[in-house]
Formats: sequence, structure tokens, C-alpha cells
Amino acid sequence: MAGLVSIRNLRVRFDGNEALRGVDFDVARGEAVGLVGESGCGKSVTWLAALGLLPGKATITGSVMLDGHELLGAPASQLDHVRGGRIAMIFQDPASALNPVHRVGRQVTEALRLHRGMDGAAARAEARRLFDLVGIPDAGRRIEAYPHEMSGGQNQRVMIAMALAGQPELLIADEPTTALDATIQAQILDLLRRLQAETGMALVLISHDLGVVAEMCTRVGVMYGGRIIEEAAEADLFARPGHPYTQGLLAARPDMAGPRRRLEAINGGVPEPWNFPPGCAFAPRCTVMTAACDAEVPALHTIATGHRAACWRAG
Amino acid sequence: MTPLLEMQGVSRVYRARRGLFGTGTPVRAVDHVSLQVAPGRTLGIVGESGCGKSTAGRLALGLERPDSGAVQFRGAPMAAPGTAAWRAERAQMQLVFQDPLGAMDRRLTIAQQVLEPLEIHGIGTAAERRERLATLLRDVGLRADLAERHPHQLSGGQRQRAVLARALATDPALLVCDEPVSALDVSIQAQIVNMLTDLQAARGIAMIFISHDLAVVRLISHEVAVMYLGRIVEQGEAEAVFAAPIHPYARALVSAVPVSGPRRLERIVLSGDPPNPAQRPPGCAFHPRCALALARCRTEDPDLVTQSDGRMVACHRAGELARAAA
Repeated sequence: MAGLVSIRNLRVRFDGNEALRGVDFDVARGEAVGLVGESGCGKSVTWLAALGLLPGKATITGSVMLDGHELLGAPASQLDHVRGGRIAMIFQDPASALNPVHRVGRQVTEALRLHRGMDGAAARAEARRLFDLVGIPDAGRRIEAYPHEMSGGQNQRVMIAMALAGQPELLIADEPTTALDATIQAQILDLLRRLQAETGMALVLISHDLGVVAEMCTRVGVMYGGRIIEEAAEADLFARPGHPYTQGLLAARPDMAGPRRRLEAINGGVPEPWNFPPGCAFAPRCTVMTAACDAEVPALHTIATGHRAACWRAG
Repeated sequence: MTPLLEMQGVSRVYRARRGLFGTGTPVRAVDHVSLQVAPGRTLGIVGESGCGKSTAGRLALGLERPDSGAVQFRGAPMAAPGTAAWRAERAQMQLVFQDPLGAMDRRLTIAQQVLEPLEIHGIGTAAERRERLATLLRDVGLRADLAERHPHQLSGGQRQRAVLARALATDPALLVCDEPVSALDVSIQAQIVNMLTDLQAARGIAMIFISHDLAVVRLISHEVAVMYLGRIVEQGEAEAVFAAPIHPYARALVSAVPVSGPRRLERIVLSGDPPNPAQRPPGCAFHPRCALALARCRTEDPDLVTQSDGRMVACHRAGELARAAA
């Protein structure tokens, strides 16, 4: 598959604390790839940094290439064309991402004006088509509604319509269904799957929910302590997790089928940024650590075809 | 076994006013709900936002008075709120919330907060309380030195442990947990879930576990009730309900849980949003979203009927659906 985005050694530092410690990650055209990990592991920061959306106090180094063009340090005019155009992003809480004092239709037509130069009747017609596409019933009337008049699921559909307005090649969905109820989550995931198939855009799905990622993605990256610590095809990752952290995450998650078993909790918690271990970030919680784990940060290396892990003992 | 807590046909009606001078529309947040929980057992309540599961928990604790129906604790009606008897009952039952930071007083140390219930209920001498504090912190797996910290100095998992220590201080017989692990990361969530099951096994506490996370509920509940718009639509042994739900809403809910690997239930994607509780559809409240609805479902409200396997289902087609699922 042809590469679309290529991230190399991406590092982000806030006030002296490192949030990202060297992320290497690729996204191919049209693929659905998942990023999982717990709060603070850097899965959202990776993409906010890549798109230049972090506050000015963040120090960013490394490389983010889109189709062979460097995005880090690119001029604002070029980033404005990328953000919302070639790469769109949707977030967990649609109600706070939408402007509460503007009608939802106007927010979509604004995106159409910015990214596709559409105006007036043409923009309104296209907004209506997008509302139909994302499954908002009675699109002609809902276009006139304000965000507070719509449910959480409907607002997320509006966000998706806005994201689609720029005809993106890549959609970054950051916990898109976390704030939604289970049956509404199923609707939105269904919609994203259908849109991806119809438009051929690539999808990066950021989630703390392993089940969501398993259902939606063909490839998955697992993050911990600001790095990718494992990456594999979805089926491989769930069947043969290589990194002890990934193994721990899978064992800690209760199942919906099979015998009920006691959960295997991972001891301790994520290390604080000011108290980071010198070697592998997971070493203090790891049940199979050795002296080597404290000495040096393990590199992400291939342990099987298309399967990489950052653990001295994996593979 | 006699239930520790029993709710019989309990309803709670709120008045939702439309506009500044509008008259109130009654909203039945909880509608004819009957539940019971025995010592050492866990009853899970699942359902989506606004289905009434949290209100059911508050009614169980006597924090709200039912508009009709009765709540009995140890076989006797609950005392009237505000009375001395009511306060004494409070020590017997405790509530644990989703947001531990919001449930704690930011100005007090962990030790002060954990000991507060003992002081309020006048349990033990000062020396006994200090000893009790050490035991409680050990039981919930908190290091003793954290006792002098303030809530914001703790991690989310540690805070939830502190909230549990406080809830356990008076040695309650009933614990109502409202989304106790929803705000926590998976690895920390597993620690808390294990701790709850261990505490229950050691102390014989009865639990009502309210959550939207079906996998967690399946793991820790003996029985489960599925709620939709204020009513129980299916209730029974937890493993049986999750393995083969009968009510079309319960089926959609269980099938919506994302899983890795092959799924047992074919995903049912419901159309539309849950209706506004103030505009409850006539007949079966689920009929506008139900793919299996008959003409009868639009007019006639189904009762919660016991099926051959002891499960209770409120659906006109429960019999045929149960046979098809078996």
C-alpha cells in the first residue's frame, strides 16, 4: 500500500516534561489503523503535534511527512490547506467542538467555503447532501438546528459531515464514540466504516477501547509512555501480543463471552513524567523485566512478519 | 435467602417544565421497578443515559422517596429522611460514584475523609478510629503514607480506592456503585473490580452495580436488570442474560459491545436515538426502534413476565424469542 503519512522520531516536550519520546508510525492510503493506550500515553498528542495544533509552549522535534512533504514547521498557509482539507480530525466531545451559537448547517457550509471554495446555494446543497450521507434524518430541517437542540450522536454526525466537507484523504477520529451510549456508538462506528469504504479515505482511530479498535481497524499500534511499543495486524495483535504491556491490557479487559475469570490487573500505574524510568517505561510494572530493561530503552524491532514490539524479551 | 433490600413496584416521577411559565410534564424516571438483592450478591443494572438506572440506585438507598411502591431494608420499610433512624440506616448502606474527585472534599486529607463517617455516626474512640483507618487503607490497597495527602495529590485509581475506604468505614451491608470504574483506565479498572469482588467475598456485602459497561457488569454481577426509559425490560441471571438476551433492546445493547474476534450475537444497529423520557411512546416504549414490533406493540404495554428459565422479560414476543434463542 502506498504511504500517506510517515511519522519519524516525533518528540514533544511541555515545560521540560517529555510527552512523546520518539514516535515512529506510518499510515497508508485508505487503511484503517488504530492507536490504543491509556490516558497520557501520547496517542492524541501525536496527531495534535503532527497537525500543528499544540500550544506554543510545546517543543516539537522529528518529522511528519504527508505525501513526501514535511508538516512540522510548515508555514501556516500550507497547514491551513492540510488541516480540515487533506487531514480532518473529529473529537470525543462533539458538543464542545461545535460552535454553540451557530446553526449546525452554517458550520458545515463554512468548512465547504474554506476548503472547497463553495458558496451560497451550492454550499447549502452540498451541506444537505453531507447531512444525508452521515444519516441525519430530515436533513433539510436539521441543518437549521443549533448544537444544543441535537443529541450527542447527532452532533457527532454533524462533526463527521464537517470533516467530510474537505474531502479528506485521512480522518483522525480521537475517541469518537467514548461519550456516546453503546447503541449510538454502534451506529457511529457503522457510519465510519461505511464512509471509509465509500470515500476510500484512510482512518486513524484513537481509542482506549480495544474492542472498538479490533472491530474497525486492520492494523493497530499500542502506545505507552509516549512511544509506540507494539504494532501489528489486528488479528496478530489480539492473538499473539508480543509486549508484556499489550498482554496485560488484553488480560485486564473483561470478556463478553466464555467463562467468567478473575481479571489480571497490571500492578501500579503509569509513571509520572518527572519520575520516568531510565530504560523501558513499562519496566516498573512488568512481571518479566530483567536488568537490561532498566539500562536501555528497547527499540521497536520486528518479531514476526508485519509485527513489531519494543521489548527485549519479545519475539 | 431473604433479600437485604427489596424494591416493590417503585416509581419516581419528576416534573420537567417547558419554558419559563410552562406547566410541568411528568417524567417517570423510574416506573414500577421491582428489584431485590441478597447479602453477598451483586445486582447489575445496565442501560443507556436517562434510562433511570442511577435514580433506581438512589431510591434503593433511600436518598429519594418513591412516589409509589415500597423500598424495604432488612424486611422493614425505610425510615423517613432526616430522622435519627434514617441516619442510622445510612451507615448500613453506602454509595460510590464515578468521579472520585467530585465525591471528595478537596480541602480535607484522605484520613479525615475516611474517618468522617465514623465521627458522624459516633463509632469508636479516637484511638479505635485511627486503628480502623489503617485497616481500611490496607483493605483497599492504599499505602499508609497517602493518608495525610489531599485528593488532588492522588491518581484516579488511588482516589477511587480512598472513596471505597470511606464507604466501607461504617462496615455497610449494602454498597451501591454508580459507574465506579468508568473514569479509570483499563489496567486500573481491573484492580478496582478485583478489589470489589474480594471485599464482597470477605465481608458478604450486597452490591448494586450500575454501569453502562456490559463486560464489567457481566464479570461482577450475579443478577442483572436491563433498563429502558425507566422500566426493567429484562432481568435474570447475569451470564444467561448476556449470553442470550431475549428482549430486542437487550439484544441490541449486548450486540453493540465491541469485541475482538468472532462475535456470538449478530450486531443489531438500532435506528434513531432513545426517545425523550417526557414523551414516552404509547404501548411498548421501545416499539419505534424495534425491528420486531407488531401492531399490538404500538398500543399495548407489555408486562414483565417470568419465562420458563426464570428470566423476566417485558416483550409481547418474549415466548417465541426465547424459544428461538434457545
